[in-house]
Amino acid sequence: MTVPTFSQIESGYEFPAVNQSYVQPAIDYYALASLDMNPVHTNEEWASRAKVFGIPETVGHGMMTMSTLASVVTRAWGVVNKQGGSIRFVDAKFTKPVKVGETVTATGKVKRKHHHGPGKNWVQIAIEAKDSTGDLIGLAEVGYNLPD
Amino acid sequence: MPVPARLDAYIETEKQRHFSRDFMIGWENYETWEQATVGDSGPALRTFRIAEEDIVSYNRACGETDPLMIDPVYARQNSPTGEVLQHPVFVTTIAFYSLGEKGIGTWIRTPGARNPQQRIEIIEPFRYGEVITTTVTTADKFVQRNKPYLQMLLDFRNEKGVLKARWWCSLILPETQADVARFANA
Repeated sequence: MTVPTFSQIESGYEFPAVNQSYVQPAIDYYALASLDMNPVHTNEEWASRAKVFGIPETVGHGMMTMSTLASVVTRAWGVVNKQGGSIRFVDAKFTKPVKVGETVTATGKVKRKHHHGPGKNWVQIAIEAKDSTGDLIGLAEVGYNLPD
Repeated sequence: MPVPARLDAYIETEKQRHFSRDFMIGWENYETWEQATVGDSGPALRTFRIAEEDIVSYNRACGETDPLMIDPVYARQNSPTGEVLQHPVFVTTIAFYSLGEKGIGTWIRTPGARNPQQRIEIIEPFRYGEVITTTVTTADKFVQRNKPYLQMLLDFRNEKGVLKARWWCSLILPETQADVARFANA
């Protein structure tokens, strides 16, 4: 995995899209891995009675959506890479619950370059994710240190 | 309210094996929006020893396929740290494990909670064997469009006191214990 240098990258640079399936087995797996066992994600009977989001289905975890959003950047540039780049922060907002069975597509582009000097330069990346109906389900800003 | 048995098929780590998975047991002990006081701070119930299997399991659940994130043998030779790289949202696992079932921040387990926004800052990667202490501070509490929001700041430090990551965790919660009960008993 090769990461661009700070001088090579321009605002508007687009990342390859990330697709993530939110079928029940994927949500179950995420529940175990994250230890977020809230029944709204895993218990269909309870979810149908409680209707936490006004719908009777289970929904994916917000943190699973946040992971999908962040993966747009980390799959392209790595979490940490040997050239000296690394992810600094992820700031996410969730706009619509992801109903079980959905496929989420996340896309991102470089929004701004922050000129903080050698070894400290970073870029701000805007990411959005939509479900299969085209509705926006989440937004994120990711900060990423790029090598000089 | 039993956890569906099918979830057993996904158990991959020691922590998953022993974790209290039924969030409906002991919900009466969870801190509520009504009880939370801004400025309250303290350590989470338990510490989290970073294990390779914890990271691999989380990465795989996120759909990662990069061998630097899911293949320990490959990562040993090719990763910048010599270890499997963790997804930036991995702190979720540390938080849920560490906060436990009683005390400050347990509202993260609340039935009926909704997730509006989150912010995670990565200071440096977690390393195998580090023992992470999570410090919880109730950071904000407000009502917006008739919805009760609660926010806590989680600081994750290793056994040497080095800050590894921070998470501003926000949820929209049922306001009172009676409101939580309506969801718990649904």
